[in-house]
Amino acid sequence: MSDLYIFRNTLRELNRPGRLWVNLLLVLLPAALALAARAAAGSRFRPETVYGNVASSLIFGFLLVILAVVNGTGVLSQEIEQKTITYLLTRPVPRWRLLLLKFLAAFLMVTVTVCASCLLVALTLFGVGRLSGAPIGRDLLILPVGALAYGALFVLMATLLQRPLMYGLLFAFGWESWVPNLPGYFRRVSLMTYLRVLAPHSREEPETLDIAQVATTLPGTQDGIPHQMAWNVLIGFSVLALMLALYTFSVREYVPRDETG
Amino acid sequence: MILLERASRWYGQIIGINDVSCQIGAGVTALLGPNGAGKSTLMKLITGQLRPTTGRVQVLGRNPFANPHVFRRMGYCPEHENSYEDLTGREFVTMLAAMAGLTGSLLHARVREVIEAVGMTASADRKIGGYSKGMRQRIKIAQGIVHDPEVLILDEPLNGLDPVGRREMTELLQRLGQQGKCVVVSSHILYEVEQMTQNILLMHRGRLLAQGNIYTIRALIDRHPHRIQLATPDGRALARRLLDLPCVLSVRLNDAGASEIEIETRDPESFYAQLPALVLQEGFVISRFESPDNNLEAVFRYLVGEKA
Repeated sequence: MSDLYIFRNTLRELNRPGRLWVNLLLVLLPAALALAARAAAGSRFRPETVYGNVASSLIFGFLLVILAVVNGTGVLSQEIEQKTITYLLTRPVPRWRLLLLKFLAAFLMVTVTVCASCLLVALTLFGVGRLSGAPIGRDLLILPVGALAYGALFVLMATLLQRPLMYGLLFAFGWESWVPNLPGYFRRVSLMTYLRVLAPHSREEPETLDIAQVATTLPGTQDGIPHQMAWNVLIGFSVLALMLALYTFSVREYVPRDETG
Repeated sequence: MILLERASRWYGQIIGINDVSCQIGAGVTALLGPNGAGKSTLMKLITGQLRPTTGRVQVLGRNPFANPHVFRRMGYCPEHENSYEDLTGREFVTMLAAMAGLTGSLLHARVREVIEAVGMTASADRKIGGYSKGMRQRIKIAQGIVHDPEVLILDEPLNGLDPVGRREMTELLQRLGQQGKCVVVSSHILYEVEQMTQNILLMHRGRLLAQGNIYTIRALIDRHPHRIQLATPDGRALARRLLDLPCVLSVRLNDAGASEIEIETRDPESFYAQLPALVLQEGFVISRFESPDNNLEAVFRYLVGEKA
């Protein structure tokens, strides 16, 4: 009974009126851009290529990550900032369970939002009749895995750091943007690399390549990551990060900053 | 029910509480001290939000830190007013009651009961975001008592309440204390505490200065000369008559016109008992009457001085 209340209240907090509008805009943004790309391409329009570009850069590269950062860190940092954490931590609910329920609410929120956005893009580009030609089924399977991995990581950050949102954004749009494009094995320390292995998207070849892309195409710099390994890394990382977050939350003190007097 | 053994808590270089030892049993106990005395830190240690840096804290025989067994039997009303602004008062109390283990019809019946007990029935279905400070205080108290805890910790629960609200909440807490529950209430207002209980813990700069009956504390205070200031048009005549009272140590005329006088006494109770008769008998007019020593700051000054 208490689990349901915690889960529901977390979902409600994540969907407060201000946030709900932002989320709705984020859901519609990739579809709107896909529509614009379709109109601009005219007779050269190839839905697979546009879908690949939008899914890779906007849905996987932006929407998934930003929603995971905001919701993953928000489940805890919002309670601390609002000082409502006090009410939760003085109730007879084990802390690990409290955080797990909040994580599940955030995971559901991110998954539904990114999957809805992905589906809208596919519908915009392929139409209802040709939807089977899009790799939508595969993406709808991999996006929750990404939400799980990033969600667990950002919840862990929220249990450990004072300003998790700031560090989360730095990680998401610094590390996760650059590291997958680096040559050699270094790119293996990015979650996005494994997501791209599981959900590769055919992207339009630009007329000129930037140095990072050139570097990744040099002979000897490509290392093939098997699918199974990508699955193992993403699931293993998610479980490990989540367990570490639950443990940290169970043993650390969480008192609102100005309440330490 | 609550035991602290040489408990200290530091925040880096800043001390929260220092070497506090005490036991708190059934009934209402007031934790009294000025802002920054360490009351909130002590309450956070008791409610298991913080761990002591050194020493030991036990509630109902257990370490309270993150301990669901303790929280099942403990209620807490924090000092801050922040809440889930988009929830109604009823939803807020229901959620926290469910988290405390109440289910089904008992849950809703109990929520209704406590909302009525704190006088929030009419506003319970409004969003907390639209509540006044007093309403927030009432709903906070409701969530603290909804699961009928044996130990109830309330941090400045009367802040923001109007006089009627203060009286109602004071009576509610006294009733809980009479039922055998351990009710700990923090305050920085001596008068407020006197209305509620006789058991006090007096804190100052992180230390526990005194513990016990409020009259014992008052007796400690009364061993020091107690100042009383009066304003009267005929200060010299009143001063002469006051010097005849055995309880008066000295009388000083405060201004050139002799309209303000300051009396020093070691027995304020006796002075307060004799003054009205004297004034009526001699027909003195008193336009102002105050005691700068009859406040909490003075109590601390005396007690700190006593210890030194």
